[in-house]
This record gives sequence, structure tokens and C-alpha cells, in this order.
Amino acid sequence: MIEVKNITKTYGKKDNVFTALSEVSFSAPEGSSVAIIGKSGSGKSTLMHIMSGLDKADSGEVLMGGHDIQKLKRKQADNFRANEMSFIFQSFFVEGNQTVYQNVALPLEIAGVAPRRRKQLIETALKNVELIDKINSKAKNLSGGQKQRLAIARAIVNNPKYIFADEPTGNLDSVTGARIVELLFSIKDSIGSTLFIVTHDHELAEKCDQQVRMSDGRAIDIHQKPAQRPVRKVML
Amino acid sequence: MRIIDIIRRSGRNLKSSKTRTILTALAIAVGAFTLALTLAASNGIRSYTDELISSSFDPAELIVGRDKEISNTGAPSDKPQEYDESVASISFGGPGTSLQVKRVSLADIEAMRKLPYVEQVRENFQINIRYITSSANDKKYTGSADVYNSAQKPEISAGMLPSSGDIKKGTLLLPETYLSALGFGSAQDAIGKQVRLSVQKPFSAESIQQLLVSAATGSAPQDQAQELQKVFSYTIGGVTKKAATDFGTGIMPLSLSLGDARELYDYTVQGTADYEKFLYVFARIKNGDNKQNIADAKADLVQKGYFVQSTEDLQKAVGQFVDILTIMIGVFGLITVIASVFGIVNTQYISVLERTREIGLMKALGMSRSGVSRLFMLEATWIGFMGAVLGVLGAYGLSVLLNPVITKQINLDDNLLVFQPVQIAILILALMLVATVAGLLPARKAAKLDPIEALRSE
Ligand SMILES: Nc1ncnc2c1ncn2[C@@H]1O[C@H](COP(=O)(O)OP(=O)(O)OP(=O)(O)O)[C@@H](O)[C@H]1O
Ligand SMILES: [Mg+2]
Repeated sequence: MIEVKNITKTYGKKDNVFTALSEVSFSAPEGSSVAIIGKSGSGKSTLMHIMSGLDKADSGEVLMGGHDIQKLKRKQADNFRANEMSFIFQSFFVEGNQTVYQNVALPLEIAGVAPRRRKQLIETALKNVELIDKINSKAKNLSGGQKQRLAIARAIVNNPKYIFADEPTGNLDSVTGARIVELLFSIKDSIGSTLFIVTHDHELAEKCDQQVRMSDGRAIDIHQKPAQRPVRKVML
Repeated sequence: MRIIDIIRRSGRNLKSSKTRTILTALAIAVGAFTLALTLAASNGIRSYTDELISSSFDPAELIVGRDKEISNTGAPSDKPQEYDESVASISFGGPGTSLQVKRVSLADIEAMRKLPYVEQVRENFQINIRYITSSANDKKYTGSADVYNSAQKPEISAGMLPSSGDIKKGTLLLPETYLSALGFGSAQDAIGKQVRLSVQKPFSAESIQQLLVSAATGSAPQDQAQELQKVFSYTIGGVTKKAATDFGTGIMPLSLSLGDARELYDYTVQGTADYEKFLYVFARIKNGDNKQNIADAKADLVQKGYFVQSTEDLQKAVGQFVDILTIMIGVFGLITVIASVFGIVNTQYISVLERTREIGLMKALGMSRSGVSRLFMLEATWIGFMGAVLGVLGAYGLSVLLNPVITKQINLDDNLLVFQPVQIAILILALMLVATVAGLLPARKAAKLDPIEALRSE
């Protein structure tokens, strides 16, 4: 279970305080998917940063597997992120000058995975996103969709427990975006991760087990998906 | 993150901005180049001077004087000094600028000869010759003469040297350079021929008086002057080659037997303060190839009031001089290195700014502050390494080109630019360390970067 409890986050000081998040609470079971939706500036990204321990909340807790992410020391938080979390961003953030292989290797290197095990993990991840034939290409030569698939491969290579995706389809056309989403969900299911996904895309949000709607820093609507889920084909 | 992964990643990062990396490394390379050349030249000069000293001085001999001034030409004292018969004054320049130097007397030499550890005492006869001439062409040439030193046998191109001991009285060794001047066809040709040396007495008070008297009485002054000169004849016993360590400046002295040299010397200095007094003498120590014997002898002589220098002392003194020279040139190299440090700091700052997003991503993926910091520091280390290697290779390349030219120009046996692997390794490591330290500040900036801000930056 992942529990977000009364998260409040303010920016600025005294006269100029801006409340980006105010008393946000929700919970999600392990292995589920959560869509965080809402207008621009409503605090979606801020919430994600706090959930992943990248940012500190003013008050509140984020419990993951029994730990309060917000209370971890920096070293512990680093370790936690290296071993249990991963990120996908709207603008890919792949290293253009490095090869596809080297991009995917980064989280494994950071987590200190033994060099012998890396190759196999990387190849599996690249097969899953259908980029194995580009393994030695420079990342800058990939198309937008391929770059995002690469970002997904990088996000799943270490079999993380929690995947945070901030508008993963924001920079892609609708067809490519739909394929990426398809891919993301199937992989997530196959490795049993919990997926937090910030999106403007209604269709994408509908696919998630739960939708958290943000407005002016508040979670104004938490919406569970009707019980039965369509069976998805797992690509492996 | 494993250090090997960090090293590989930092290397790759540098590769992706090649031009900038190379330019930054070049700045270090200039420093490395200067320092490597300085070290190489210093090595070469040192081994050259060591060789020069050990070939001009017998390591088994001590240079023994009565006054520390034999090595130190300090400013003359401004206090009036008590008269001492053994003290002679050397004047150099205008009035008042004379240096009082205590000499080694004949009695001193006798006493030294009786010391149990002294094998032989050789006076320092350096004779200025008015001219040397042979009957082959009767042309006159200037020159100087020295005592033949059996411990430091010269190379000869003709004739024979005794296997031990002095050359025969009445013979001399003629330097090759005189051969054609004196009208000898070849070295072999000169052997057994006669040469005449003319030496002159310095003008003493009496001789000047004599001259004045003869001028007053109308007799030819030339005859009188003639009396102050004397011609000695010698047989050429051998022809010496120019020593490898000779700089090629000045004329090599002729070598005379000890007896002949004493005779000539005494003639030239008789009636002067130099007569039977020596600035220094050479004391040959028994079993002097053993450094301990030399040191013991030196200690004892110093205790007896002599001022003593061994070959090693001379080498040390010259070595110090070379050191100072090395440091002076080295400072230029260091200045270049300091300048390149700013280059590295600048490059790395730009690199951090450019890669804000990448740093944010790495931190989001759980890379620790120290990991990020190490990544950037190692990039600087790489730059230092490349620059240092580049500079050293450049210096080595230059030495390969220059060494033959220099060796030929100044007639050396060995190379002047000598690279020592250990020195070079230390130099490269030191420059890598300097570069790493230069990378510290930018690396800190990278480590402290807020990942959220970094990820927001588009
Ligand atoms: N460092 C900061 N200082 C001040 N205000 C900030 C800071 N970071 C974020 N904010 C504000 O907090 C609010 C929430 O920002 P956030 O990035 O979470 O919005 P969002 O919902 O992700 O928007 P979008 O959909 O456009 O990405 C915004 O109004 C933003 O201006
Ligand atoms: Mg956002």
C-alpha cells in the first residue's frame, strides 16, 4: 500500500506564500496504477516530486512499503530511489551523445548492479520496448517515439517497484502516444510495479485503476475505476 | 556507483565535447611540456656537470686550501687585517677591492705529505705561457700549461703514456689543436719533435728598477727585458685529444711533468707573493675510491685548519646551481599550470551548466551527491591526464629532434635532454591531481544542484 497523508507544500516566504499542495491524501495498493490529472499549475508535478522523495513537503507523510519517504535521510532516499523507483519525463531526458545501451545502463550503474548482470537486464528491457535492434545507436538519432521507448526501457530495466511518469505522452502524437501507453501498462503489469502517471490525456487516465484530480493544490476528486479490468496482452 | 563506471562515464562525457576538452587539455599540455623539458634539461645538465667534474678532478683527491675563499668569492672585508706572511692579496679592479687570501705554504705541504692517509700532494701549477713555438714553422702561439695528472689520463691520438706515474721529465703532451698551427702534418708526425715554451717573470720592484737604470745608462732596455723571459725546450711525448667534456671554449693546456711544471711555475712566480705559496693543492688520499676514507681525511684536514673540498662537494655545489636554474625555469611551467587550472574550472563550470538536466536525472535516479561530484572531478582528472600526456609526448618528441643537434653543436657524449620515467610519471600524476583539485569547485556545484530545478529546466 502506498499512502499519501495530508501533504502540504508551500513556496515563498511570509507575505508571498504560495500553497502548491494543500492537505493532499490518497492511497493506492501496490501494483496498481494511479493517474494524477488536473489543469496546468494545479500541483501534479509537485505532488510527484514529493512522493518520490525528490522534494520535501512542509508537512504530511508518504508511506511506501512502511517507510515514510519524507523522513528518510538523503543517502537512504538516494538508495531507495536507485533501487525501487524510476522516472519517465515528458521530454524524454535521454542522453543524445550516448548509445541506447549506455542510456539504459545508467540506473543499473547508479544502483551498483554487477557488470555481468547488466547486459542481460538491458537486453530484456530493450526487447520489451522493441528497441533491441537500436542497441548501439546514438540516442540522438532516435525518433520521438523511440526516445520515449528508450526512456521507458531505462525506467523498467531495474524492475522498480514504483514508476513515476510525468506526462509521458505529452510530446508525442496521439497514435505513438497510445502505443507508448499500451507498452507502459503491459510492462508495468509484467514486473508488478505501481505506476503513478501525470497526464492531461483522458483516455490514458481512464485506463488507470484510480484517478486523482488536482485543482489549486487540492485533491478534489479521487475516482476508483470500476472493478473489472480488461485483460491486456503481456508482451514478453 | 562503481568507480570504474564513473571513470568510464566521465571519459565518455569528455568525448562528446571533444573540441572543448582538447583545448582545455592543451593549456595543461603547455605546462606539462615546459616542466618535462625543464626536468629533462636539468637531468642532462646535472649528469653532464657531474661527468665534467669527475673527469677534471680525481675523486680520490681533495682540494685543500688555507682559506674558505678558494670556493667563495664573497665581498672583501672592510676591516683592516693584520699582516700575515702566508696571506697574499688578489686585487680585482680598482683600489681597495683586493681580496686577502690565505695560502697553502710549502711547510703546509710538507706536513700534509707526512699525514698517514695522504698518498701524494700535488701543487696547483697553472702556468701562463708567453708563447709556444716549434722549429717546423717558427710561428708563435699563446697557451697555458698544467701538470700531467696520472689519475686522469687524457685520451691520446699519438705517442705513449706511462702505465702509471708521471710522464718523463723534459717531455710534454701537446693538445691536438696545436698540430697544424705549429706546422706538424699529423699527430704521429709531432711525436719526438721539439717545442719551445717561453715564459715571463712578472715585473717586480727590482726588475722595474733595473729597467729604469738601464734606460738611464743608455743600454738597450730590450736586453734587460729579455732577462725577464726564458725559453724552455721539450720533446713532444704524446698528442692529446680534446676531452668530450670540454665545452670547446678556450685552449686546452699543455701537460708537463711535475718537475718541469714546478720549474716553470717557480720561474714565473719567483719574487711575487705567489712564490712557494698556493691557493690550493690537491691531496691524494690513500684508497680514495672509498668514500669513507675521503670523508675521514676531509674531517681531519678541516680540523687542522684547512679548507677542504672533495669532488662530491663540487658536484653538490654545481648541483645546487643547476637546481636553482631548474626551479627558475620550472616556475614558468608552474605559472602555465596555474593558468590552465582556471581553464579547467571554467570548462567544468560550463559543462555543469550544460548538463543540468542530466545531473537532475542522475540524482532523480538515486545517484548520491558524492557520486555526481566524483563524476565531474574525474572528468577534470581525465583532462589533466590527457594534457599531461600530450605535453610530455610533445617534450619527448622535441628532445628526439633536438638531442642530436645539441649533442653535435656543443660536442657532448650524452644527450642534453634526459627523460626519467619516474619523474615523468610523478609529473603526470601531479598534473592529474592539480586538475582534479581544479575540478573540485564545479563538481561541488553539480553535487549541490537541486534535481527538481534541474528537471524543470527545458
Ligand atoms: N520553486 C517554485 N517556486 C515557486 N512556485 C513554484 C515552484 N515550483 C512550482 N511552483 C508553483 O507550484 C504550482 C504547481 O506547479 P506544478 O509544476 O506542480 O504544476 P503542474 O500541475 O505540474 O502543471 P503542468 O501541468 O503545467 O506541468 C505552480 O503554480 C508553480 O508555479
Ligand atoms: Mg507538471
